[in-house]
Amino acid sequence: MTIDRYTCAEVFARLDDYLDRELDPAEVELVRQHLETCEKCSSEYRFEAGVRENLKTKLRRIEVPASLTAQVRAALADPGATDSE
Amino acid sequence: MFRHPARPGHEVAPRRSAGQFCRVSASTDVARPSLEALLLPVLDRAYSYALRLVRNRADAEDLVQEAALAAARGFSGFEQGTNFGAWYFRILTNCFYARHRRRETTADADLDEIPDLYLYERAADLGLHGTSPDPAGELLASIDRDQIDEALVSLPNEYRVVAALYFVQDFSYAEIADVVNVPVGTVRSRLHRARKLLQLRLWNVAREHGLVRGAPEGSP
Repeated sequence: MTIDRYTCAEVFARLDDYLDRELDPAEVELVRQHLETCEKCSSEYRFEAGVRENLKTKLRRIEVPASLTAQVRAALADPGATDSE
Repeated sequence: MFRHPARPGHEVAPRRSAGQFCRVSASTDVARPSLEALLLPVLDRAYSYALRLVRNRADAEDLVQEAALAAARGFSGFEQGTNFGAWYFRILTNCFYARHRRRETTADADLDEIPDLYLYERAADLGLHGTSPDPAGELLASIDRDQIDEALVSLPNEYRVVAALYFVQDFSYAEIADVVNVPVGTVRSRLHRARKLLQLRLWNVAREHGLVRGAPEGSP
């Protein structure tokens, strides 16, 4: 039998850390158990997870311009020259 | 079965440690890599980060180059075998703060007035929770990357830094703490506030662009 040991408030206080995989395994399990039995918290969790995933996807990395790579290479080859500009 | 969010194959697993990002071999048998060999592989990440700190490509390029020069000057202090990416991002962040020392501030009291789960509640106002299988996706579907960038760069500097490291670089709290040189608890607090403010501003962006109809705009 599974015992739901966290209250909604306790889960909410840990929601960021749970979503960001910053909880220790024991706490992960307790949060997970609560989410399995609480539709309200589960709904909030799914929504917040969706927001983060959506933002991370849209804020993807942008390829560095070739000109910048060349400038950095040149600067590292002769840092004094760029420094004195 | 409830699933914890994770990358494929990493369900419920701890995040990668800070040192796993761009780790360099600590073997004494291997010659010390050049700065160029270490820096070029992280240049995409650095440019993407810089672009979310400053507001245009020219300033982002200047920032990355300035940080590269600072890294060259301080490279003797880089400890081989430690996290080069965090080391360089720390320099880049310091360069950013040096240029933008006078930061815009949003009073903590104003931030505290933003309710938690701001977008969740707005989605509720729109009736999405009962009708959509993916309320978050539906709410954000009409907001494009440029608009999210716009909202991100509008954050006060200290929140923008941690939010960029989190959303763009997917850094852990420990990695962000390492880059920003603050305790993990401070990262957690700043990220929480940054996410609240970002949700509010995304909602306002959506409203300004006529993408959603709903509750009045927030004030911060």
